[in-house]
Amino acid sequence: MAGSGIAAITRLAWLLTRRIALLAALLALVFAVVEALPGDAADATSERGESVADVERRRVLLGLDQPVAVRFLRWMAGLPSGDLGVSARGEPVLSLLAGPLPNTLLLGGLALAVTVVAALGLGCWAALRPGSMTDRVISASATAVLALPEFVIAVALVLVFALWAGLLPAATLAGPDGAPAAWSMLVLPVLALAIPQIGWNARIVRGALADEAKASHVAAAVLDGLPSRRILTHHLLPGALPAIAAGVATSTGMLLGGAVAVETIFNYPGVGALLAGAVADRDTPIIAGVVALTGVAITCVLLAADAIRAWAAGVRR
Amino acid sequence: MRRPGSGVGGRTPPVLRIVPALLLLLLTVAGPLLAPQPMDRPVTIPYAAAGADGTLLGGDQLGRDVLSRLLHGGRDLVFSSLIVAALVTAVAAVLGVAGALRPRLGQVVERVADVLMLLPAVLGILLVTLSWPGGGRLALVVAAVALAIPYAVRFMAAAAAPVVVTGYVESAVASGERTWHLIFRDVLPNLRSTVLALFGLRFVSAVYVVATAAFLQIGPQPPEADWALMIRENSPGLVLNPWAVLAPSIAIGLLAMSVNLAAGALSPKAERT
Repeated sequence: MAGSGIAAITRLAWLLTRRIALLAALLALVFAVVEALPGDAADATSERGESVADVERRRVLLGLDQPVAVRFLRWMAGLPSGDLGVSARGEPVLSLLAGPLPNTLLLGGLALAVTVVAALGLGCWAALRPGSMTDRVISASATAVLALPEFVIAVALVLVFALWAGLLPAATLAGPDGAPAAWSMLVLPVLALAIPQIGWNARIVRGALADEAKASHVAAAVLDGLPSRRILTHHLLPGALPAIAAGVATSTGMLLGGAVAVETIFNYPGVGALLAGAVADRDTPIIAGVVALTGVAITCVLLAADAIRAWAAGVRR
Repeated sequence: MRRPGSGVGGRTPPVLRIVPALLLLLLTVAGPLLAPQPMDRPVTIPYAAAGADGTLLGGDQLGRDVLSRLLHGGRDLVFSSLIVAALVTAVAAVLGVAGALRPRLGQVVERVADVLMLLPAVLGILLVTLSWPGGGRLALVVAAVALAIPYAVRFMAAAAAPVVVTGYVESAVASGERTWHLIFRDVLPNLRSTVLALFGLRFVSAVYVVATAAFLQIGPQPPEADWALMIRENSPGLVLNPWAVLAPSIAIGLLAMSVNLAAGALSPKAERT
């Protein structure tokens, strides 16, 4: 027992190391992209009539006059302590993100939770009655929605539920703490983000359960006359779990990327508004900071998926 | 248990499932010729309701004809997406087969795909287009292609793996044929349907990425007519003329769905971005 415990810890430690190495590679890639492309933050924020000397002064202020190697080390070394550098306007990126980022993670996290519950429910419902009308309706609607851009769904939801039915607010108001003022304001943004991912993951659940149904131990359980609900929870789902976890993990990036557009429509107080400002100002350090922290969030979900996969593999052995 | 059906679409012959996408693409490309009004001049009051001054779908935020802008607004989205999908497919077809023939290259691509999984495509495009002022549409296409290639290579390498261990390819490798010859003469001709399927899938995600980027004001700039930009520009007048937002939303929605339906007909098994 103790031996298997140590083996499990070693395995988890290895998974953790691998994920951290991949995250470090992403951060290096972000730096390289910003570095390799023409133009820097000092140029980008230059205003009309500003002299070359003014731009140079800001370049020194932003540390852009240092050699590439020094800046790379500074960027990589600052990240573990949460130092994401300064924006082109000279404010620390971390403090700019401190207010909006938790709101975006709340939105993305809720959307992920809704996605998991709805996709599992719909996928299992369809899989319990293969080939039935229910199965075909669920599969066809899942396919129909999975390619839709989130902002298009957001517009449709606003029109139907906010403007015509008047049931839910069309825009998000921030409370005194900067978070959305009421829970009802989260409903439409979460739905707009979750609907395409529910479509995608419901198909994965349905497909993984169908693959698992071909296994011999499942056929034996069917012959034993076990109720189909028990076969689903005890024989099909455990084996299908790794594929489902991998699918949900790929959805995390889609949710956080789509949140930027959805937040704009609902005027949600998240990083979307900050990024829109950064697009207008060409403020690269802010984008790089958001990419870095998004990478951390996705890494956490991928680690959870790794752990589920390792656990499922252990159970099977 | 009965064998699972593959949904409603599974009952229609594949050819019929490509027709909606082809019709819509044709309409989008020919749209500017059909526009009844100039797309860049006001013909009515801002946010005029549908039907005012002979406009079928009303006016936009400057009083320009929504229908005419709608007919103009899909062409660039379709062309950009086609270019992205074609480039990704071409590069991935070559690299994927090369990766299957040369396992070390295949491993590098796998690791790169693992890293890019941490970068949502929309954020990656923002990063590239902002770091490259003056890059314009080229920056958008380059970013979309670069971010999509690793997954596409993975898809191709998986399909090529069984082909490269067939006897005739192995004997060609043993006889010392050059890699490019192996790729183009021996392996790729056997993977035509995989390449076609990959193109369909890449087109679906290119439409998603290009439209979302345009909505975030990366790509087309005012006064250009673009569906995603129309949604963004006309949102403030949603109550006055919902059609100015609803019509381009429906257009993007139909394009995404019909292209996805066609891609499903081209590929037996779906793979993601």
